[in-house]
Amino acid sequence: MRRRRLARAVFLTLIALLYGFLVAPIVIVVAASLNAGRFLVFPPAGLSLQWYAKLLNSEPFVRSFFFSLRLAALTTIITTIIGTAAALYVVRHARRKDGLRMLLVAPLQLPGIMTSLALLIFYYAIGLGGTTYVGLLIGHVVVCTPYVFLTVVAVLYNFDRSLEEAARSLGAGSITTFRRITLPIIKGGVISGAVFSFITSFDQFPISLLLSGVGTTTLPIQVFDYLRFSFDPTAAAVGTVNILITLAVVLMTERLVGLESLYWGGRQ
Amino acid sequence: MVGAGTRGAGTLTRRGRPWFLIVPALAVVVVFFVLPYANLVAMSFLTPGKAEPYVSVPTLGNYTSALGDAFQWWILWRTLKLGFLTTLFTLLLGYPLAYNLARASSRTKGMLLVLLLSPLLVGVVIRSFGWMVLLADNGLINSVVKHWGLAPLGLKLMYNEFGVLVGTVHIYLPFMVLSLSGALQNIPPDLELAARSLGASSTMVFWRIVFPLSLPGIFAGCLLVFVLAVSSYVIPVLLGGFKVITTPLLVVQTAVDVHNWPSAAAQAVILFAASLACIGLYFRLMNRAMRGLSA
Repeated sequence: MRRRRLARAVFLTLIALLYGFLVAPIVIVVAASLNAGRFLVFPPAGLSLQWYAKLLNSEPFVRSFFFSLRLAALTTIITTIIGTAAALYVVRHARRKDGLRMLLVAPLQLPGIMTSLALLIFYYAIGLGGTTYVGLLIGHVVVCTPYVFLTVVAVLYNFDRSLEEAARSLGAGSITTFRRITLPIIKGGVISGAVFSFITSFDQFPISLLLSGVGTTTLPIQVFDYLRFSFDPTAAAVGTVNILITLAVVLMTERLVGLESLYWGGRQ
Repeated sequence: MVGAGTRGAGTLTRRGRPWFLIVPALAVVVVFFVLPYANLVAMSFLTPGKAEPYVSVPTLGNYTSALGDAFQWWILWRTLKLGFLTTLFTLLLGYPLAYNLARASSRTKGMLLVLLLSPLLVGVVIRSFGWMVLLADNGLINSVVKHWGLAPLGLKLMYNEFGVLVGTVHIYLPFMVLSLSGALQNIPPDLELAARSLGASSTMVFWRIVFPLSLPGIFAGCLLVFVLAVSSYVIPVLLGGFKVITTPLLVVQTAVDVHNWPSAAAQAVILFAASLACIGLYFRLMNRAMRGLSA
């Protein structure tokens, strides 16, 4: 009995350590952003908000931050609409469900950096030019649509169609039925998909790396360029702001639809 | 094909199929995903240009020169090794996490999921930066180590393969855990209780019941992590500091810095082919493992 209890204690300690490993870099980014010195050292050097002040005064960071926010918002609007529509079609109307499904989620299966390179070369071939806003937006739409598609497909499979048929038999038109019955029921999946899409676009790195240029620099690219040549805690301040935004979005989703749906939607 | 459809119960499924729903998403994926990749493969058979990125003269030269280059073979080997080690460590670390998650009460599960998914929701660049702060020569870990005099010269934790591996394991661990816990969740806890009540030790329960039944999850998780890890870019750049060159880095360098698209395309195709070969080998091994268990 005592041996079993000991084994259990060891197991739970291991689990705690592993979760510690998972959140370590995030906690460290927040700590580094509040640190007075250039490097986080032991014992700590004291608190300071200087890196946030530096961030606010850095024009490239502020500009790329708002650019990323706008790009992610636009990407989310587009992908939510086309992803939801595609999910409705595939689950309810398609004959070759599996084929269409595989095709639509294919952008998740191939590495982003290769997709980015393929798009760059393709844009030149069709005369769009390498680094345009439209090209960047399309790249984001390509990799974000599968998330919406998958989460909506997941809720549609558990959908009780008799509810719609009841509404129709009581005289509701197809648009009314969709608005009053279908949409409220699949809302959870649509919102989770939109959240995934927003976060994926806002944090997107590989797609933006080759497709963003002068005037279309996203925040992750700006941070990356910074870190590649120097080690500056301003990046930690950016990271903390980024983490807070993500946290706010996730908490909002949790309130709206519950996190379980994020998990199950994303797992499919 | 598009029937006029009478209104009323039961006719929803019989009406014409609303093509307009699928067209936008399908158009996006075909035009801006399938075509670009087809174009990339085609590009790998063209001749590199001098002033321009390529000339439209077909050749096999990109492949023969890439395959004849020992340096590129070595980089490819390192990339696949990174993928293999990342998969191995995420499996070893992910299994206890997944087991714990699958057996947790629904209340705790919500909290554990937040912990597990939160790193996934923070961009890869920011997370790499977190590791840089920890692992750098004058980073936190080294400052602790030096403070206590454990290693007066400090440890070399970053800008080498170790640093890259720490980063990739961290990034892909949640993917592995989600794959594994899905499979573990489908094993009824009664099965373990039954085995125990019949006198099996906990080690025996694990190896004879839990582990074999979780094989599909292991299978899916390893595949996913391997594919993601061999193509990662940010981690090798930031935590490897251009000292750990992997094939994706080489591809981007060839395409963007050298401006040689055909060679870059050929290198990308070779990486895909090599990963496919590894996956094929892995499928055969897994099949044998499954058959061995059922026998």
